[in-house]
Amino acid sequence: MSDVLSEISAAVIKGNKDSIADLTQDALETGQEAQTILNKGLMPGMDYVGVEFRAGNMYVPEVLRSARAMQTSMDVLKPLLVAGGVQMMGKVLLGTVKGDMHDIGKNLVGMMCEGAGFEVHDLGKDISPEAFVTAVKDFEPDIVGMSALLTTTMRSMQHTIDALQEAGVRNRVKVMIGGAPVTDTFAQQIGADGYASNAASAVDLARQFVDGA
Amino acid sequence: MRTNFKANAGVRFQMLSEDQLEELFNGVLHVLEYTGLEVQHEGARDVLEEAGAWVDGERVRIPAYLVKQALASAPRSFTIFARDGNPERDIHIGPGRAHFGPGPTPPNFIDIETLERRPYVRSDARIVATICDALPNIDFCESLGTISDVHHELAATYEFAEMFPRTSKPIVAWSYGREDAEEIHRIAVAEAGGQAAFEKRPNYVHYCEPLSPLVSTIEAMDKLIFCAEHRIPVIFTPCPLAGGTAPVTAAGIVIQAAAESWMGLVVAQTLRPGLPFFMGGVLSVMDMNAMILSYGAPELSLMMAGATELAHYAGLPLWQTGGCTDSKTLDEQAALEGSLSVFFSALSGGDLCHDVGYTESGLTGSILQTVMMDEAIGYVRRITRGIEVNDETLAVDVIDTVGPDGHYLREPHTRRHFKSEFWYPTLSDRRNFEEWEMMGGTTMGERTVTRAQEIMATHEPAGIRPKTERAIEEVLAAAEERVE
Repeated sequence: MSDVLSEISAAVIKGNKDSIADLTQDALETGQEAQTILNKGLMPGMDYVGVEFRAGNMYVPEVLRSARAMQTSMDVLKPLLVAGGVQMMGKVLLGTVKGDMHDIGKNLVGMMCEGAGFEVHDLGKDISPEAFVTAVKDFEPDIVGMSALLTTTMRSMQHTIDALQEAGVRNRVKVMIGGAPVTDTFAQQIGADGYASNAASAVDLARQFVDGA
Repeated sequence: MRTNFKANAGVRFQMLSEDQLEELFNGVLHVLEYTGLEVQHEGARDVLEEAGAWVDGERVRIPAYLVKQALASAPRSFTIFARDGNPERDIHIGPGRAHFGPGPTPPNFIDIETLERRPYVRSDARIVATICDALPNIDFCESLGTISDVHHELAATYEFAEMFPRTSKPIVAWSYGREDAEEIHRIAVAEAGGQAAFEKRPNYVHYCEPLSPLVSTIEAMDKLIFCAEHRIPVIFTPCPLAGGTAPVTAAGIVIQAAAESWMGLVVAQTLRPGLPFFMGGVLSVMDMNAMILSYGAPELSLMMAGATELAHYAGLPLWQTGGCTDSKTLDEQAALEGSLSVFFSALSGGDLCHDVGYTESGLTGSILQTVMMDEAIGYVRRITRGIEVNDETLAVDVIDTVGPDGHYLREPHTRRHFKSEFWYPTLSDRRNFEEWEMMGGTTMGERTVTRAQEIMATHEPAGIRPKTERAIEEVLAAAEERVE
């Protein structure tokens, strides 16, 4: 592997946002393809971060710093990847459901999905089923992620899925849900495609969705 | 006669110095005056603006003098009365008095027969109230769950209706909003003998939860205003996560939580000067790997002690936290985390210590944990009672009487004091090995389960008035109509 690619991996792991833009430019100038930089520089770095996080050796703030470094590099690479006709990881639409103002978990999922190479559109909190439907039509995501902290607002997830169904867009997206009181059983009950118990497994689930598609 | 003799009546500890507390206090005033909070409730914004706060859209900044006025009008000492008039069950809030009870709203419950984790149901509220009523070291009652088998908007109303007849210890109630707060209040007022009688002798406390960081939500303010209008003692308690929705440092999270709570204080005291108000905050860390709010972290006890000392410095009682755990079951972790946090809470003298019986980081209520912690609290209370020093306890004359090579078993002094000087365990085992084995060789966990089941089989709580029973029926019928 070329030195610059392993330097990029290391910059992702250390979360070195300041150096990674230059490293990415260097790699491009030495003739590396954007696709190669993504697959052999950035992704191995983020994969390492994921493994270390699950092992309990890295912590959320460090993971987010790595995700941010990856984003910085992606800002440079993305126009090239798109121009080259490369398929991106996929698009994720996120929101905390109607009535719920607790959004830190959802924010984490967003930051970690971005780190994994997804394009993320975060609607914010207290999002009505109608607003989800409109955003699905406008943003055309592959995945819709919903979160709730309260047992009372969990039900809004059902309403949102119903609204997607009624609008005729349910089949265009995979729906994943999460939040402290949410369970796998609940996800099945309301007809979601999947449930993730934390932000890291939400990223795994999102990957499965786009790989399976 | 002695003069200028100074005695400590119990074990207390002081973590922060006067100077440090003044720094924290000024930090809270600074946040309220210069950063302000988002107050989403229009009526509350109007109250604050009228009082002299600066309102800019939803952002409200409160000049320090207003906060100090609110602190001056809030009482440090007051009483929450037992509904049946039993003075032993009144809760006297004041310096050096730590009280304990469960917490509200986890979705799951540990079944006391099958020991399985399952959704919390209506009959669980009866179990929790009955067992809390019987436990000698539990002073107030909360439900440990959200009822899942009634109409979802009526969970809080049914919970109070189920608990109120089954415990005469004061209940800390919660509600989704104003409508169910009214329903709960109607039940309590029926027993108190009308609104005027209730205001003189309040028999329950209401719980409101603003959002971190720095948001007073519509529901939290609506409930607070309802409490102020009806003179219901109120808790205004955010749940910030250090490193997530609050600063990562203990001093920083204490300041933010106090600012969030005192926004409620200013509204409450403006509307109803003298309203009994508990400063709140469940303060703990967001575990940066498991991504949960930790209920078993040492930082929880430390941050809660900091918040307690700040509250007392400012002249407010505190809604403390302890007896809780991240463990999923009644195991060694649950005993360790629960016991240490009740000990620390008692040492800090936090006024109402809740969440005794929270497990799985607040996602599962376990009355078994509460039963085990009742033992821990008894143990702790013996320690915090301290060492009494006077002629009788110094026992110099008894030592002289017995002399070398004697014994104390027959001394009147021993008979006078052995029951009050020593604490006797209920769940812990002190027998010798053979006796322990003969009695079944049980673990503390097994004895805890047996005790909970025995209480349910035998305990009869003091009843409510027939008038209140009718009021409960009427309230539930009207509530069902409301959601139809």
